[in-house]
Amino acid sequence: MNRTNHYDFLGYVAFAIIILLGVPFLLGFDGFELNTFARYLALAMVAMALALSWGTAGLLNLGQAATFGIGSYVMAMHLKLAASTGNPGGMPDFMGWTNVEALPWFWQPFQSLSVTLLAGLLLPAAVAGLMAIFMFRGRITGVFVAIITLAFMVALQLVFIEEQRFTGGQNGLTGLAPLELPGWTVDTYSLPFYYLVAGCLIVALLVGMLVVRSKVGLVLRAIREDAARLRYLGYDVAAYETFVFCLSAAIAGWAGMLYTLVLEFASPTYMSVSFSLAIVIWCAVGGRESLVWASVGAILVNLAEGRLSDMFVEGWLLILGLLFIFFVIFLPRGLYGLAVAAMDRLRRSPRTEPPVPVKEG
Amino acid sequence: MTVLDIQNLTVQFGGLKAVNGLNLQVQQGELRCLLGPNGAGKSTTLDLICGKTRATSGRILFDGADITNLAEYRRARHGIGRKFQVPSVFKELTVIENIEIARSRRPGLLAALTTFRTPLRGRVKEVLDRVALTDHIDSKAGNLSHGQTQWLEIAMLLAQDSKLILMDEPTAGMTIQETLKTAEIFNSLRGEHTIIVVEHDMQFVRQVAQRVTVMNQGSVLAEGTIAEIEADARVKAVYLGH
Amino acid sequence: MDAILNQAFAGLSMASILLIVALGLAIIYGSMGVINLAHGEFVMLGAYAAWAMQSFLGFSILVSLPFIFVAIAVVGWVVERGVVHRLYRRPLDTILATWGIGIVLQQLVRMFIGPESLFVATPTILEGNTVIGAVVMSNYRLFVIAFAVAVLAATWGLMTRTEFGTRLRAVIQNREISECYGIRAEKVYATTFAYGAGLAGVAGALLTPLVSTTPSMGTYLVVDAFLVVIIGGVGSLIGTAVAAGAVGEATALFSMLMNDTLGRIAVLLAIILLIRFRPNGLFPQTIRR
Repeated sequence: MNRTNHYDFLGYVAFAIIILLGVPFLLGFDGFELNTFARYLALAMVAMALALSWGTAGLLNLGQAATFGIGSYVMAMHLKLAASTGNPGGMPDFMGWTNVEALPWFWQPFQSLSVTLLAGLLLPAAVAGLMAIFMFRGRITGVFVAIITLAFMVALQLVFIEEQRFTGGQNGLTGLAPLELPGWTVDTYSLPFYYLVAGCLIVALLVGMLVVRSKVGLVLRAIREDAARLRYLGYDVAAYETFVFCLSAAIAGWAGMLYTLVLEFASPTYMSVSFSLAIVIWCAVGGRESLVWASVGAILVNLAEGRLSDMFVEGWLLILGLLFIFFVIFLPRGLYGLAVAAMDRLRRSPRTEPPVPVKEG
Repeated sequence: MTVLDIQNLTVQFGGLKAVNGLNLQVQQGELRCLLGPNGAGKSTTLDLICGKTRATSGRILFDGADITNLAEYRRARHGIGRKFQVPSVFKELTVIENIEIARSRRPGLLAALTTFRTPLRGRVKEVLDRVALTDHIDSKAGNLSHGQTQWLEIAMLLAQDSKLILMDEPTAGMTIQETLKTAEIFNSLRGEHTIIVVEHDMQFVRQVAQRVTVMNQGSVLAEGTIAEIEADARVKAVYLGH
Repeated sequence: MDAILNQAFAGLSMASILLIVALGLAIIYGSMGVINLAHGEFVMLGAYAAWAMQSFLGFSILVSLPFIFVAIAVVGWVVERGVVHRLYRRPLDTILATWGIGIVLQQLVRMFIGPESLFVATPTILEGNTVIGAVVMSNYRLFVIAFAVAVLAATWGLMTRTEFGTRLRAVIQNREISECYGIRAEKVYATTFAYGAGLAGVAGALLTPLVSTTPSMGTYLVVDAFLVVIIGGVGSLIGTAVAAGAVGEATALFSMLMNDTLGRIAVLLAIILLIRFRPNGLFPQTIRR
């Protein structure tokens, strides 16, 4: 990831053109297919969010699914309330079954669309921010960040399952109303909805790329290499780490909101260990160092899953596990690494000069 | 004007007092050499000033502010820069990116979010020219030779532009020519910057030092010009006499 | 009072299993710095091996233990040579790779043996209970406790009283220097990993009469074992033993006082807080590096 490298930007533009023009055309503007692909794009967004912290700063958030899940529940709460206006007290049906007296205070704000959209970004960011301050002020790094975030996510998922009265428990939130935007009732099997999701992904990628290409990205890469040295240069390492965790969480929450729209329910499986592992796999396959390639990885793996899991119902997880091990060992930079290597070879072959003149002295 | 004032500083590791009741004053613009036998507490003193190690007791005043308990990055923001014994550049970053990282007048998040490229002009060009790395700005630091790596680190130090520069054996592993060039750079830095150097190479010390402080067993044994120190019988006994 | 004593015995029994699982994990983590997320699957494989030997060969668990130890140790050796040893310089990637291995092993068992839970009988000579006062102790659980103590002693002996232990400790302290003295660090690592895996397999086999044997049985166990390792501190066998006792008893106590979910959340929070505030464990070894 070089800040003056224009290929990253070209790759981004190509990616945007493909998902905006190529994909709808290839899918023949079919509502069902577009909905499926919109799901992949939402997942691409959370993969890109993970790449932002893992690929640049080397902070592996194994609990990325937690922030994704929070975003998806925020959206689902809004849609559930919209679907429950006919019920006594405007309460969701499952609360009635479990004898909740009145709509709990923490559900009430989600009647408002704007509060929901803001909360879907800010709530995950706040949760991640607290975790980050807790960890990074204590200078926790490396594998311990991975373990702490993983443990936190499992605990959060347990809470969501346990507090059935308020969260729908194991079933999650189902029976949602369609999203009502000003002047548009969102039909998730339509081309405009596909463009909504695609637009979100492209904007999120742009935000991420701007951050990575700013000096913040440079500092984050320096943190990955030697955080201690950076402190003696005057950088508040924990502040940078917290920032990237919050941004990554906000984007993951955003992706979670879209995911609820696509699938029309929210489930505690969105914050499960296996889902978090899946996100890591997409990133590893696409290439953790590049936001665009992490997204591509998510799309490719999910496409493959969509096509192959019909053929090998049982074996898909096995294939995925083996693929993951293979990439971790032999292609730690993922498809992005392959692309970079190919590009280098292409560029170097016409002129046969060594890449870096090294002078001994 | 006294820029660094260390008062009765002590640090204890287990039962060992690595620095023991140290008193040290350094004037603005001075280049001070710290000498002493192994285990005298020279590097630990630098660690205490830059915040790598926290003092058990005593005070460190810098520019009139008490920095004894500040975090490392806050001390750096006060204007204290450190060069470590092992060359520590960011190997995965390019030369110019290393300089950009080191140029940390505005190390905050907001400033960093709005900075997008490092133009090769002004101070950046000046320091890179000075260490002859201008042609290598897009090379990864990890691909530089050992000598170039040391120059890059000195360039980073120049780019950081700290008021007080702490250096631990800056000439270790350098050739004679490189040592000379380093001495020249140091001599040009004094005045504007205050420098504390831990160094074993007496040749180098004679070239750069105005005042020398000799440490032994964690406190100051003697202080004076290089000639006074070389004539001092106590110093001879513990150090030079060997 | 009797209820508490009975619960304390249950806790001790839990602790003994945890100890064997955690010992393997602690040795691998302490010596190589590898957090082996496939450790739970080694436990699971041990349990399935016990099931297989009982159903196909009619062996009781006691007879099959040595075979299971060797078999799972071989699996561990293959995993170390095939995957882990390529990643010693990339600690984050070892977490990911061992995670992947865990998934693969689980899925293989699920595909070829099936997801349903299996039954393994308690060995006949260990059926029945020993009653002291009002405390009813199953003989099998008593055996497991004794066995765990024996494993602890054997591991301690291996580490401190054998040539291999000396080599291992040398490699832990300084790999490069040890290699200069002709110790083949790679071999030491592979053997250590295999030993840890073998212990996990034995723990899995011992577990079979006590819990249901399923492909995912290792997952929860490894979380508790991991807690034991970080409480005990890296490289401290006694610390690990004390921590296993503490976690086992605490789990028994919690399950009496509150429900399972809250107990699990408490364990997870304990892990988070310990890593944050006591990264070297409660009984850190002070080695000057």
